[in-house]
Amino acid sequence: MTTATTTARPVRRRSRLRRRNTLLGLSFIAPNFIGFAVITLVPILILFYVAFTQWYAVGTPKWTGLANFRKLFLHDSTFIDALINTLYYTAAHLPLTLAASLGLAVLLNRKMRGMAFFRTAAFFPYVTSIVAIALVWNLMFSPDTGPINQLLRFIGLSDPPGWTVSSTWAMPAVIIVGTWREMGYYMLLFLAGLQTIPAQLYEAAQVDGASAWSRFWHITLPGLRPTTFFITVMLTIESMKVFDLVFVMTAGGPGTSTLVISQLIWRRAFEGEGEFGYASAIALVLFVICLGFTLVQFVINRRSEK
Amino acid sequence: MKKTRFGLLAALALATALSLTACGSGDTGDTTDTGSDEPAGPVTLTMSGWSFQTTPEFQVLVDAFEADNSDVKIELKEYDANDYETLMLADIASGTATDIITIKQAKFTNQWVNQGALADISSVVSALPNNVSGAASYTVNGVNYGVPYRQDSWVLFYNKDLFDKAGIAYPDGSWTWDDYAAQAKALTQALSADGVKGAYEHSWQSTLQGFANAQSPGADVTNGADYTYLKPYYERVLDLQQSGAQETYGNITTNKLTYQGQFGKQSAAMMAMGSWYVATLIAQQASGDADSFAWGMAPAPQYDSSTTGTSKTPITFGDPTGLGLNPKLEGDKLAAAQRFLQFAASEEAGVALAQIGILSSVAADSVTQAYFAQAGIATDDLSQFAISTHDTRPENPPHAKIAAIQTALGEAHSAIMSESTPVDDALADATAKIKDELA
Repeated sequence: MTTATTTARPVRRRSRLRRRNTLLGLSFIAPNFIGFAVITLVPILILFYVAFTQWYAVGTPKWTGLANFRKLFLHDSTFIDALINTLYYTAAHLPLTLAASLGLAVLLNRKMRGMAFFRTAAFFPYVTSIVAIALVWNLMFSPDTGPINQLLRFIGLSDPPGWTVSSTWAMPAVIIVGTWREMGYYMLLFLAGLQTIPAQLYEAAQVDGASAWSRFWHITLPGLRPTTFFITVMLTIESMKVFDLVFVMTAGGPGTSTLVISQLIWRRAFEGEGEFGYASAIALVLFVICLGFTLVQFVINRRSEK
Repeated sequence: MKKTRFGLLAALALATALSLTACGSGDTGDTTDTGSDEPAGPVTLTMSGWSFQTTPEFQVLVDAFEADNSDVKIELKEYDANDYETLMLADIASGTATDIITIKQAKFTNQWVNQGALADISSVVSALPNNVSGAASYTVNGVNYGVPYRQDSWVLFYNKDLFDKAGIAYPDGSWTWDDYAAQAKALTQALSADGVKGAYEHSWQSTLQGFANAQSPGADVTNGADYTYLKPYYERVLDLQQSGAQETYGNITTNKLTYQGQFGKQSAAMMAMGSWYVATLIAQQASGDADSFAWGMAPAPQYDSSTTGTSKTPITFGDPTGLGLNPKLEGDKLAAAQRFLQFAASEEAGVALAQIGILSSVAADSVTQAYFAQAGIATDDLSQFAISTHDTRPENPPHAKIAAIQTALGEAHSAIMSESTPVDDALADATAKIKDELA
């Protein structure tokens, strides 16, 4: 400010203009930001404190230091189960969805009659109610009467999997449905990415006699790198905090075979004893894991950019 | 510049307005005002409930109470039945919980006590007559927090028409679980042409563990040391499932079978279920949602013959539904609310509830008579015995970690019933988790 008083008039006017523009800009984002701050940011910040306390959602939290975390890692095998299941889901769901959505996008990135229909069809699962999805897929996965096992038996599999009623196959079943549901959404992002790749590159490659595969490998994939990076980050976070699909499809069962961290957080907080402090500690662990994955991805991305 | 200032002013005004309305709603939402400044008139209390359309019991209780107490008015506040506890938690945390808090699931008592949402009403509970059962479910560290007005217990429903068709004698109250299993197989075989199964056991953990916890000698679900007593119950049911005498757990969960559909549409000849199903079955037979057939109730099958037969008292299980009070209540409001709680566990309230098919926590002949006066109910002697004579043990005994214990046992249930984990392994896993939880 001291420089502003000593400088000449035009500069002063410019700084006033800048301040005015800043205020105007702030006022535009204010409605959104206030909502975000009140409903999301402040509760998240409070969570960082609550995670180190014993708290039942009412009254003053009791500071317990690292007790929640000690219990979490040393005396809570359910948490370890949930952690492994979450990593399992992410490790399978991420590459499958990435491959499926990229494949769909490349397939549907042509000028052909009826393409809009197929794009809509691929996107449809994403906008369908997850409860309806879970109900129908559960019926399809029914071990004795479901069409999937009937088909498997028809093609000669005498002992098809038990799907959602088998602790071995429940997670694959959930992953299949999760991939099917989300690939349409990420396909749209990939489609948008594909539009940004200049057509001349393909034409030039074609003139040079490059095969379809080598065009995909040397033009499409590198051209999609920013999109792929974005989708990988989003998919990792989405997979790590998967909740609704598992909750309505298997509710974490059989046993704990599909119990994921988000459901454990919910269970600890809202079912039973109402341990919001302990639930916050689990949420904090999930946050740190997501943050860690994202940082690693950023580092890898930056390195390969160079 | 002018525009900016206007914008700032507008933002400030908005912020002030928001904070004002926040305070305002806090004031109007405060239900615990003792009303000392108001002129003397009827005391108004609020009470929580759920799904009034299908759960008329709250209105029945309030109407019966208000008829005798013109100085008290009770306003019911409706919550969603499935999210009742979560919604209540929101109201408890924001200080807007109702004056009278209905405790839908006894296992949440401990959480609400932790949250300071329930008042100590030991004085009301200790004044209750001896024939009221279930208050122990709301006792935490020797302090009473709830008055039970409703007490369901589990009985064996059976389809008389299907038993006749199979040529098998009706249950006579002498059955152990082994008898039940043998009859289920015999019924399945006799009715195989129609595709009817002998028994239906719903996918809930209580359909098995509730009985095992209540009936097994020395069993205590809260002790955390040993759950091997569940094993014979599981082995029996797995055998029934594998032999086709009852629907498999997998089919029930993936096809979302309902117990009302399975028994009401005559897919199974018998089913152990809570007594709340009586009112549902009567209503569904009247509306056509269930087939018309003759049915009856028998005492739940027993662990061994020491508690079978109509000369003994069969052991079964069930949780009460109760009423607690907001700790902020004082003065006239507190006195009126306490009066209401006393009324809810009275014979008069029990008769009013029985007339709409709800079993009161009060054991009295007048209540049983009113219950069996309902149109469409089975009135044979054994049905009356099953409803009126039983030792009903709490499904969720009061314990600081009861919900966590039930969660671990529930995981074992789905692991065993889906036949993905051997009984011993699943029970050992649950025991280890519960030990951790109790440590």
